Amino acid sequence: MDTADGKRFEPKILGFLCNWCCYAGADLAGVSRLQYPPNIRAIRVMCSAGADPAYVMKALLGGVDGVFIGGCHPGECHYTSGNYYTRRRVAMLKKLMEILGLEPERLRLEWVSASEGALFAEAIKDFTEKLKSLGPNPLKVKKRPGAVVGVKRS
Amino acid sequence: MAKCAEVVQDILRGMLRERLVDEVVAFGRGLTGSDILPLFITDEQDIDRIVTTSYCPSSLAKLVARYGDRNKKMAIVVRSCDARGLVEIAKRRQVKPENLYLVGIECYGVVREKRGEVYIFADKMEVDGEMMPLDEAALSPNCRRCEYPVPTMADISCRIEPEGDCLVTVNTEKGKAMLATASVPVQDAPPSDVAAIKERAARWQEKDFGDIKRMEPGERLDYWLSQFDRCIKCYGCRDACPICVCKECCLEPDRGLIKGGEYPPETLFHAVRLTHVGESCVNCGQCEAACPMEIPVSKLYHMLSKEVGSIFNYEPGLDIDSLPPVSMVDEEDLLKTGVDFG
Repeated sequence: MDTADGKRFEPKILGFLCNWCCYAGADLAGVSRLQYPPNIRAIRVMCSAGADPAYVMKALLGGVDGVFIGGCHPGECHYTSGNYYTRRRVAMLKKLMEILGLEPERLRLEWVSASEGALFAEAIKDFTEKLKSLGPNPLKVKKRPGAVVGVKRS
Repeated sequence: MAKCAEVVQDILRGMLRERLVDEVVAFGRGLTGSDILPLFITDEQDIDRIVTTSYCPSSLAKLVARYGDRNKKMAIVVRSCDARGLVEIAKRRQVKPENLYLVGIECYGVVREKRGEVYIFADKMEVDGEMMPLDEAALSPNCRRCEYPVPTMADISCRIEPEGDCLVTVNTEKGKAMLATASVPVQDAPPSDVAAIKERAARWQEKDFGDIKRMEPGERLDYWLSQFDRCIKCYGCRDACPICVCKECCLEPDRGLIKGGEYPPETLFHAVRLTHVGESCVNCGQCEAACPMEIPVSKLYHMLSKEVGSIFNYEPGLDIDSLPPVSMVDEEDLLKTGVDFG
């Protein structure tokens, strides 16, 4: 899909990658020279549950096209249960996005272990394609009325 | 005619006299006699000021959590949304449930504007002693969507009959002790007519939520953005919300998440509140009542809590042992391997 100014639309993805699995998986994908789209900007978090729903919403409302959360497979969390919390939060966030009018497909959770570099590359490839067909985040192009800046107290 | 007030006053007076509780929290007449305010009563003679009208200017649950001493034993006259709010607050350990004695009043809706002495019943209302058919438009919008007229989580629950009778039922062991000192007969009250209220709730939920659900995603986004653009960031919704109990709030500008000195605030302001309280919303309507810009926030929170509740099979405020679904993990979680819950 092309954007209004004629350029090819390249989605921006923000990734919250778990330090113990998905981040290492992404590293493996790089070391193994697997090709995947460069659309993802990774943030390393100590656990996928560290991706606070508020941060996810901040990214999406700030105009990021998609948010990717990578965590350990169930039963493999370094902190025993962080990924279960993430799964519940993502389920809630998807509903929240739907109610607000954002496509829930813009948020994606994947389990990627440290040995699954190929899976990580595949997931990013697939997510980028999905986002390309969805189009840009409506909030990126939306004209928001200028915020009224109050008097700053010094 | 003050309906049922004597019975409630009698129960509370007995509890206060017997030192079963240290303090009574209820709506009552202020000093001028015409205004209705939340009162924290420690003196027996002030019990006479308590009223049971269907005019509720604020949430007692929030006031108890914020201003109440949690080590004091308190009797609170609650409607079902207050009771559910207190259950949610207790889950967040801001009150000690063993110190709370809840006197419930069956509630078929409240009014937010004071227009004389109003009592709301299932299908009629009484304004200044005159009975008339129920005007649903006069009710607070959240009350029209409410499915819980009977405060089953309270220790005792009182039903006000249109004729002025008061039927008291006991829900817990604690409730029996509460009634021991009062000269109130406990009746085996016939079950309340909840079906009619459920029907009304379903009708209004369909109306309020259906309009939004039927919109295209882009249209829905525009709708909410245009609502949020009216926000003046007064923090009224947060301050009125019984679920928002944090002492340090991440919506404050010094936390760095939301920029200070700007209004309307970023949409994130509302999104963060949604992520924090959305799944536990008890539909008390305080946020919308507090909003000076009339943003339909309670509709938004209630809608989210309904949707999230349907995934997690969770009803906020009913059971003190079932924790908020995004803050807990249960054994079934361990067996699921997929990325989708459910």
